[in-house]
Amino acid sequence: MIDRYRIFLLFIVVFLFMAIFAPRFFNVFNLTTIMRTMAMNAVVAIGFTIVLICGELDLSIGTIITFSGVVGLGLKEYLGYGGSVPIAILTGCGIGLINGLLVAKAKINSFIVTLGMMTILQGAIYTATGGNSISLSTEDAFAVSDWLSKMILPLITPRVLITIGFIVFFTLFMRRTRMGRNFYMVGGNTQTAWLAGVNTDGYKIVAFIISGFTAALGGVLFAMEGSAATLKLGDTSLMYIVSATIIGGTAMSGGKGGVFRTFIAILMLDVLYNGIILFGLGNEVKIFIAGLILATVVMYEAYAAYKHDKIVGQRAELLKELNTKHGK
Amino acid sequence: MMQTVQKESTQIETRLRTQSTFNRIFSTLGVYGVAVLFLLLGIILQISGVINNFLTAQNMLNIIDAVSLLGIVAMGMAFVTYSGHYADLSVPTTMALTGIVCVEMLKYGFFPAVIISFIVGLLVGGINAVAIGKFKANPIIWTLAVNYVSMGVIRLVWVNKQIYPDLKASSVKASVLFDNIYRFRFFDKIALPMVFLIILVIVCHFILQRTKFGVQLKLTGSARNVAKFSGVNVERVISIAFLLCAATATLGGLTVTSLSKVGAWYNGAGYDFKAVTAVVIGGMTLAGGRGSIIGVLGGVLIIGLMNNIMTLLGIGTFSQDMIRGAIFILVVGLNAKSLRSQGRDDA
Repeated sequence: MIDRYRIFLLFIVVFLFMAIFAPRFFNVFNLTTIMRTMAMNAVVAIGFTIVLICGELDLSIGTIITFSGVVGLGLKEYLGYGGSVPIAILTGCGIGLINGLLVAKAKINSFIVTLGMMTILQGAIYTATGGNSISLSTEDAFAVSDWLSKMILPLITPRVLITIGFIVFFTLFMRRTRMGRNFYMVGGNTQTAWLAGVNTDGYKIVAFIISGFTAALGGVLFAMEGSAATLKLGDTSLMYIVSATIIGGTAMSGGKGGVFRTFIAILMLDVLYNGIILFGLGNEVKIFIAGLILATVVMYEAYAAYKHDKIVGQRAELLKELNTKHGK
Repeated sequence: MMQTVQKESTQIETRLRTQSTFNRIFSTLGVYGVAVLFLLLGIILQISGVINNFLTAQNMLNIIDAVSLLGIVAMGMAFVTYSGHYADLSVPTTMALTGIVCVEMLKYGFFPAVIISFIVGLLVGGINAVAIGKFKANPIIWTLAVNYVSMGVIRLVWVNKQIYPDLKASSVKASVLFDNIYRFRFFDKIALPMVFLIILVIVCHFILQRTKFGVQLKLTGSARNVAKFSGVNVERVISIAFLLCAATATLGGLTVTSLSKVGAWYNGAGYDFKAVTAVVIGGMTLAGGRGSIIGVLGGVLIIGLMNNIMTLLGIGTFSQDMIRGAIFILVVGLNAKSLRSQGRDDA
């Protein structure tokens, strides 16, 4: 029971703590800031979670974020946002497709494929830009940027709305459709899924494409809102999203977890970080506490499995009989 | 029915016997085949006059010199990969932490400082060992968390500051010794890290091939449960693998800190993935229990050769990244393919 709703409890505890103790936390302006910082990582985490549910790992999301930001803003000069944004997102899908093909068809471990892809993209980003950040200062770029960050409802800007839209869509997709459920099956036990007639390779490829798509979408939207793409845009995202996904309860071994839980975990981490900054503590405390929470969650899960392993195969009634025989 | 089974089995045997020449060469030579290819490429490029100074003793020495630090770290990482636990991602901050601790402790003399940093390094390794060896925590996530925590510790204790070994007058002698970890050269040619690497290769190769622990580690890496039920103390074996990794990370940390002459939280950044790259190119599979230390040395040398040739060709650092990533995927893919064609696929 506690395990199942762990992340929701954690979120409520952290939120209440910050709301009561942190200065200047509970007001519309600060909460909007939290929603806006959350928006990029939340949308990228959707794809990462689906890949993890499939039992694979995608380390390239951080560089896909940066890459799509650079492509989306770099090509705007020539094509306008109408052309450059679809290209950026399609590039993300293409990278995901290559990852997926190498993992599913060439049967190379996903850790290696995406690690290699991370190095390749890192090089591509710096080669394409020559090491300079891209920033746009034309009228129409600012207009788009203003539109994306305008408050349309309390706490909600268009970019946050897009993010929430995708989270609702993918949550329903993973829970309610047969295709979504099949991802869990592939991750839980690939061979069983294959025997049951599921195209396991296809699902793995699709998972990587979704991951590339969401990473590119998150990156390009973030870059558009700021009208700037720095070359370190997605650098911290990978570790952040990995932590959030694990804290949210998605298992590294696959077949377990969910998109919505990851979203709540991202929200929880952002509330926590925001609170830490409001308390006047620095970046180092942030890193320390994030690590501590991640370590606690991993240790808690490992210990539960360890205890379960110890009693597995033991028969209670047999032990009882033995004990009574020896007069204990 | 019986006939078809027999027919199939003969088919399989013929398939095993008639492996493609490429696969046979690849599986016998292993990673050194790739190394020879790169060497040939360099020689051809030199003969055709595209690059100069490739095939000189000094350049060969430079290649090894440039990768000796990576090699030191990769040796320890190899044990973790061999035990079937992917990678120890806490290596970067272990390096930074031990480096900064050593610089801080130089006022008590050089050797006490080194001993204290080894104790600190092994402490981090010990935490990993207990969590992963005993409680079977997921190695990637756990070491990532430890990486975070110890980075937080460094930045909290030293308040984001960098510290320099030669500032304190009381520890000038120790500081000079410390600076020489990276800079001391035998006969003005052979650098100390290179000697560390050679000694480590010999010791690690001996441990993996000739000791009881090595055999137990191989079994644990191949099939943890089988090892457990054959009476191997798997918890202890995995713990030792992580402790060895922490020890070489400490040695690497001292070297990198001596190289940059500054103790800081960002020392050693990137060495986790770099070391895994070397280990995996060297023919160790992430599934564990397969590969050798000599292979890992080959992987390290390939990275050195590749960087050297690309730099001599005048390829920019960032384009080098792209080529390195592509070659990484290619080599590992070929290795997996050659294993699979022999029916030994488990990776």
